[in-house]
Amino acid sequence: MDLGRRKAIKTIGTAGVVAATLPILGFPAIAQNRPLRVGIIAPKAGIAGTIGECGLQGTLFAVEKINAAGGIAGRMVELVIEEETNPKDSIERLRKLVLQDKVDCVQGIVSSGVSLAMGPAAEEMKALTIYWDGTTQDGVDETMAKPRYVFRSTDNECEAVMASLLVVKHWKGKFKTIAGINPDYSYGRNNWAAFQALLKKFGIEFTVVAEQWPKVGTLDLTSHVAALKAAKPDMIFSSLLFADLPVFMRTAHSAGLMEGTRFAFPAAGFQHTALKKEFTPEGMIFGHNTLYFDHPQANALQKEFVAYYHNKTKDYPHWEADRAYFAMQAYKAGVEKAQKAKNAWPSIEEIAAAMEGVKVDSLGGPGRMREDHIAEQTFYQGITTHKNKYDFPTLGVVDTMYSDQLQKPPGANFWKWIETAQIKL
Amino acid sequence: MTPRLTTLVIVGLVALVGSAPLWATPYHITLMIPAMAYGIALLGLNLLFGYAGLLSFGHAMFVGIGAYTTAVFTSKLGIRSFELVLVASAVAAALFAIPIGLLTVRYVRIFFGMLTLAFGMLFHSFLFKFYHLTGGDSGMRVVRPTLLGQDTQELDKIAFLTGPFFLYVLALLVILGLVMLRIVHSPFGLHLKALRENARKAEYLGVTVRRFRLAAFVISAIYCSIGGVILAVPTGIADPELAYWTHSGNLIFMTLLGGFTNFFGPILGAFSFILLQDQLMSATQYWRFFLGVVLALIVILFPRGLMGILESLMARFSRGRS
Amino acid sequence: MAAFINILLGGVFHAAVLFLVAAGLQIVFGVQKIVNLACGSFYALGAYFGVTTVTWALKAGLPPFLFLPVLIASGVVLAVIGPVIERLLRTVYDRDESFQLLLTFALVLMFQDIMRYFWGANPQQLGNLVMVYGKVGAGGVDLPVYNVLVIAGSIAIALILGGFLQRTRYGRILRATAENRAMTEALGVDVRRINVVVFTLGTVLGTVGGAFVVPTSAASLDMAVELVVEAFAVVVIGGLGSMRGALAGALVVGLMRAAAIALYAELELLSIYLVVILVLILRPSGLFGKPAE
Repeated sequence: MDLGRRKAIKTIGTAGVVAATLPILGFPAIAQNRPLRVGIIAPKAGIAGTIGECGLQGTLFAVEKINAAGGIAGRMVELVIEEETNPKDSIERLRKLVLQDKVDCVQGIVSSGVSLAMGPAAEEMKALTIYWDGTTQDGVDETMAKPRYVFRSTDNECEAVMASLLVVKHWKGKFKTIAGINPDYSYGRNNWAAFQALLKKFGIEFTVVAEQWPKVGTLDLTSHVAALKAAKPDMIFSSLLFADLPVFMRTAHSAGLMEGTRFAFPAAGFQHTALKKEFTPEGMIFGHNTLYFDHPQANALQKEFVAYYHNKTKDYPHWEADRAYFAMQAYKAGVEKAQKAKNAWPSIEEIAAAMEGVKVDSLGGPGRMREDHIAEQTFYQGITTHKNKYDFPTLGVVDTMYSDQLQKPPGANFWKWIETAQIKL
Repeated sequence: MTPRLTTLVIVGLVALVGSAPLWATPYHITLMIPAMAYGIALLGLNLLFGYAGLLSFGHAMFVGIGAYTTAVFTSKLGIRSFELVLVASAVAAALFAIPIGLLTVRYVRIFFGMLTLAFGMLFHSFLFKFYHLTGGDSGMRVVRPTLLGQDTQELDKIAFLTGPFFLYVLALLVILGLVMLRIVHSPFGLHLKALRENARKAEYLGVTVRRFRLAAFVISAIYCSIGGVILAVPTGIADPELAYWTHSGNLIFMTLLGGFTNFFGPILGAFSFILLQDQLMSATQYWRFFLGVVLALIVILFPRGLMGILESLMARFSRGRS
Repeated sequence: MAAFINILLGGVFHAAVLFLVAAGLQIVFGVQKIVNLACGSFYALGAYFGVTTVTWALKAGLPPFLFLPVLIASGVVLAVIGPVIERLLRTVYDRDESFQLLLTFALVLMFQDIMRYFWGANPQQLGNLVMVYGKVGAGGVDLPVYNVLVIAGSIAIALILGGFLQRTRYGRILRATAENRAMTEALGVDVRRINVVVFTLGTVLGTVGGAFVVPTSAASLDMAVELVVEAFAVVVIGGLGSMRGALAGALVVGLMRAAAIALYAELELLSIYLVVILVLILRPSGLFGKPAE
């Protein structure tokens, strides 16, 4: 048995290879004379595989840019990629990255189940960890009251909050009955509850006429659509987000559910290119979270990335790429801030402390890492239009909100915050 | 091998594993914990499969029961004594296994497999669906237990896992292994084997088939549950994936990999599966494919698993010598 | 009333889909006594391959209304994998059936990655092609013609298979083999060939089913693993190995699910397993199965 053998490090793309082969000049300390090693844990297979693949492109793009510009505080970045699966195996991969590959930082994680489990594990291992996604309300407070090493993404519920605000803004007075079809897990449950809480907050009277909870990945939604149609809601709120979303859209369209009903899809961005114009009408509220690829006022960085992504995948990116890019850039900003302050290579604790409050210009727009280790980013949602060059709808009117309007402040309870927050429409 | 030599080899291996903190990397020591947890679970599963001849496709349910009992005790009830958790999970497993066993052991072969699969998936959907009770997909938190009344909060998690917890689990594996050894060599175990070979004949000889099968079912459930308790501690969470049917498939995969015809096969299977999966995941993103290939090869070419290969190598060696 | 009929039709449609997944499982078990966990994988493979072929054919200038024959043909082409996998399974025919089950579990693991290798992690779909045949209905009841085709297709397959097994000489041989393998062999039937034929038939039922249904749905990586469980529920309720049972089981599950969705959506999944367990307790051989030991 060769248990003690140091395993070869997988590098991906040219970035990693270049980083591994280029001698790094000008840094005398031997310990720093190796590339910075960043471990990525992202889903590749199963239902969330498509999300992970998109995120990886954001990481690769960030690393190529960083390495081309001389690395992070002068050290090249090299990636070790592991697969996110169930909580148990994912935590074992985290241990492998930290103990065996001795990575300097871990990024990734999409599923909230894994993120909840991994938080305490990463804290206890003192592993600097930056999540792409998967921050739900449940259990966050009790499992990680004051994280030191773990940095989380914006709350998953941000998109539901924003979609609800847009519903109020655009459709107030135009609907009385609502229905929901949401994935049957914590994310779907919280989104649906948040939507109703916000309607109440803005004094909208409504009746819930149907609630559907298909299991994630249900690919035949005929009966669900028939049940929704039978309930005749004026408005439907749905946080479906995987392959089930295009299936739902097509089924609803062919069953005539769309006539006279308004729809809000806070997580439509995950499937935006699969929702074809033929069955996705105009006038729906679509959430694109922190990256809307076709933003008319997009910055040069986003345009460059969209082209890069399209060139590699023949597709258009969604927000997971932005989350991954943000994570990498937040790390870079933290390391460089700490390094500057100390004028020597900082410890993990110093980097983590320095990351608090750093500002990052991400693919989708400005963002910041809050002092309580939760990201703040810019969100995009709007109303669908067919007036574009694609075969899927884009946003006609784009609403932009910064997440300080959408997520609870540090230490607050989400549901209390919804009741009391001063939210501008 | 003579019994004496076997004993010597086993003692040697236990000593080798026990001294792992001296020679293995912390990562590999933490990997040995799930290996030992599965080892315990498989000892039980193999009583059912290898000895009683019943293939269950639902035993992940009992692993789940162990993990969720740990979660309920350590994070909901605040009872962190690991010994109490072990006892409670064994009781919980038995409470589930008795009625389920009563219903399932009336059948054998494929019907038994499908019935256990159905119960396993029922349990999985319960965990998934009863969100307010179980945490749904997010699962339930597992807090670090105290071992023999000793709180180890001063140790960091890795030091806890690679130190006291590792040794504790090894001790559990040895104890439960010895208990299982007694069980399979008892009249009960011999009857089970007789049942596997010829149920009618055994019945004729006065063996009450169902009662024996039920006993084997309950014992296997308890072992799986204890395996689940151990798995939950390093993960820190109990989640519904533990009870999904593919996890049951993996349990059988491991049993077969090690060799179900040998008492120690399942333990070897658990260790080799963990090592194999770790290496494959590091080597390729298509690790599932290669796991499938290994399983197919084992099924087709080496149905007695790694132990079978070892045994025939040893037989050839001793023949060559004499 | 219209609402009720819509929900009912939704249930029937789901039953048709389930029947297509379970039919292959049944015929293979009926004759070969092998429980094929990979039946869901065949179905998924058919779905993926169907999307690719039709997309390609449309690009090459195929008029959209002709997509259905191309889709079916793509499912039929996949028959080639049947004999290959049968060859693999042949090595364990004389072993305990646990080994056969495990070998098909190995196939499930392999197929997951094979599909990911070829199609990546993005779900694949055929846009709105399903609507080229339009809709039917009146008075608030309406459904795509294609859904009607899927329902009709399932019934046709059930009838043809039933007729083939009951009425034709070859069908009788198959049933005889299912009853008593040694006896049929002694009577001079080439059981080896029968195994190849039956397994390939089982495979094609899966791949054609997957291809057939995909326009209404999508192909995704986890569908194989998820569908097996539903297919299992169907055959357990209907009775292992019985074609009629597959039809009945699919109807029970499809309608149960529709009823749960309409009345109390929380019960959607649990209800299916509860029926399974109820059936297994009260009538362990299923509605149409032969009694087990």
